[in-house]
Amino acid sequence: MATMTALLLANFTTPETIGVNPQSMLWLLPLVASIAVVYKATKVPKITAVNFLKETAILFGSIVIFMIITALVLCASAWFITE
Amino acid sequence: MAPRSREGHILFLLTVGLLAWLVPGAGHLILGKKTHAAVIFATILMTLCIGLYIGSIGVINPVGAKPWYVAQVMNTPAVAALGQMTRGGGYPVYGRPNEIGQIYTSIAGLLNLLCIVNAVYLAHLRRIENVGD
Repeated sequence: MATMTALLLANFTTPETIGVNPQSMLWLLPLVASIAVVYKATKVPKITAVNFLKETAILFGSIVIFMIITALVLCASAWFITE
Repeated sequence: MAPRSREGHILFLLTVGLLAWLVPGAGHLILGKKTHAAVIFATILMTLCIGLYIGSIGVINPVGAKPWYVAQVMNTPAVAALGQMTRGGGYPVYGRPNEIGQIYTSIAGLLNLLCIVNAVYLAHLRRIENVGD
């Protein structure tokens, strides 16, 4: 038990290895999910599983789509400027 | 239930805000919103833990990253205790893990700030509904 606890705590004292590559951008997805869940928890007057999941999924999708559109616009702008 | 005095109401709002800061979701729990409290508690704690797991407790840096630290402390006062541990620079973290860890822990803190404000607002609304002023 003590070894388990020590191992668990050790996970929080050494950073993970994350490369600087396009895949590391996927770390934004759990964060967006957290934001969507907490925001909706403060907005809906009563939480029911189906309705809450639906509302959260819509917000999650909206944020991700908006971020993709923004990324595409920035990529296109950079391409026009540098070409 | 008899309406609270103005002073009692302010004290109640302060208590709700303080509880919501001490434990994420506790502000909603005291208002009887158990499901909201559970969702807020689980989500904010999970976001904070993911950030600490990715970047280690070194991402809480009250010396070199003060603006991030201010947002991180909004999670719970326990983060300030972690900040005292890392103040000496014993847990160095650089690069992408540092960035991602800081972003996760800070966003978790700002989300809890949103919940604190929401809980206090709901507590205030409840009084207005009771008194009718």
